[in-house]
Amino acid sequence: MKVFPDDLLYSREHVWVRVEGDLATMGITDYAQEKLGEVLSVELPEVDTEVERDEPFGAVESSKGSVELISPLTGNVLNVNEDLIDDIGIVNSDPHDTGWMIVVEMNDLDELDDLLDARGYHDFVLQETEGD
Amino acid sequence: MAAWRLLPFASFSAPKNMAIDEAVFRTVQRRGGPPTLRLYGWFSPAVSVGYFQNAAAEIDLAACRKRGVTLVRRPTGGRAVYHDDDLTYAVAAPESDPLFPPTIAGTYLAISCCLVRGLEMIGLEASLASGSGEEPRPVRVGEERQRIPATGGTRSLPAPSCFAVPSLHELLVGGRKICGSAQLRSRGAFLQQGSLLMTFDPEKTATLIKSGDDSPLVGSELLRRRVTSVYEHLPRSVSRDDVCRALLAAFQEMWTVSLTPGVLTAEEEEWVDRLLATRYGQERWNREGSGKRFF
Repeated sequence: MKVFPDDLLYSREHVWVRVEGDLATMGITDYAQEKLGEVLSVELPEVDTEVERDEPFGAVESSKGSVELISPLTGNVLNVNEDLIDDIGIVNSDPHDTGWMIVVEMNDLDELDDLLDARGYHDFVLQETEGD
Repeated sequence: MAAWRLLPFASFSAPKNMAIDEAVFRTVQRRGGPPTLRLYGWFSPAVSVGYFQNAAAEIDLAACRKRGVTLVRRPTGGRAVYHDDDLTYAVAAPESDPLFPPTIAGTYLAISCCLVRGLEMIGLEASLASGSGEEPRPVRVGEERQRIPATGGTRSLPAPSCFAVPSLHELLVGGRKICGSAQLRSRGAFLQQGSLLMTFDPEKTATLIKSGDDSPLVGSELLRRRVTSVYEHLPRSVSRDDVCRALLAAFQEMWTVSLTPGVLTAEEEEWVDRLLATRYGQERWNREGSGKRFF
């Protein structure tokens, strides 16, 4: 079973969140990238647009199919990882760090309360994989 | 026995077909709408591109216009498909439905096995592709589940045309692709769309959908070698209705579900109108999509 970094929070839609003040960096988890397979394309929001909790903020196409990325938080997009243009492979090879996707200025920090810590996400993934 | 809704075969315009599929999917996703199987055709010829595809680079848009072929962007990913005489299906269901393993590949397999059985009922022996991205290598239904092979480090699908290369668990007849499928998953639901070729015109397909660096002539030759259709193997006395009936019987038999004919709900009709106004009825959307992609 994968090890999920302790300094991140996780959504049940397999998005990780790194919180620094009212800023949240987001990407897809190592579990999600492994399930998707080789990532081919990513669609992300533009800077200075709003993302809404529980709504899609982008999409990923992989060699197997495509998935929508569901935002766990509401806020304004401050930054998008343009390194993905040159090397989209980092979503697979380094999903929790250089493969980050967007930085959001959060509107409501209480939304973080619904996210899982590393242990909770590990257990959630374990339950999901037991159904495989 | 689980109850599924059947949206029986009907033909619509390309934009409306995509709007209906997405509306049904969104209703399953957001409102717990009924799992749905839809069979449909196309009022007039169309090319559908995958959600992420660059239509300007991969489709000859001038040739489409000249031949009266509509361009539409699918909600699902994958490569371009020329729709003329094909039988298209859409399945929208919760990921938690016990019929489907909770993986993309598992869902493909569950649906493909029904399609194989349906084709068998009309006298066509189909097999499942191993998804190597190379020349088709058939795998018989019932064989051990396939491992997905490494793709060699490329970061793009191998050809703009869906039918040029079979993906994992797609259908082959005589080692040639006969049905292409694509899947979208989001918030606990999935939509899978697929196109079963009743006839196939490699020249026209290669004229409309570019073949990478190859000329349309080379592209059509490649498609001729790799693609087949129902009527290449069966007489015309087997009608489209016969194929629809066989597929429906196969879905019911393989999944032990009851398929109840239904119609779109009022909420879904509203979704269709909204999606036509904002997406599929808009030339720019179909050509460019959201325009926010990283390749």
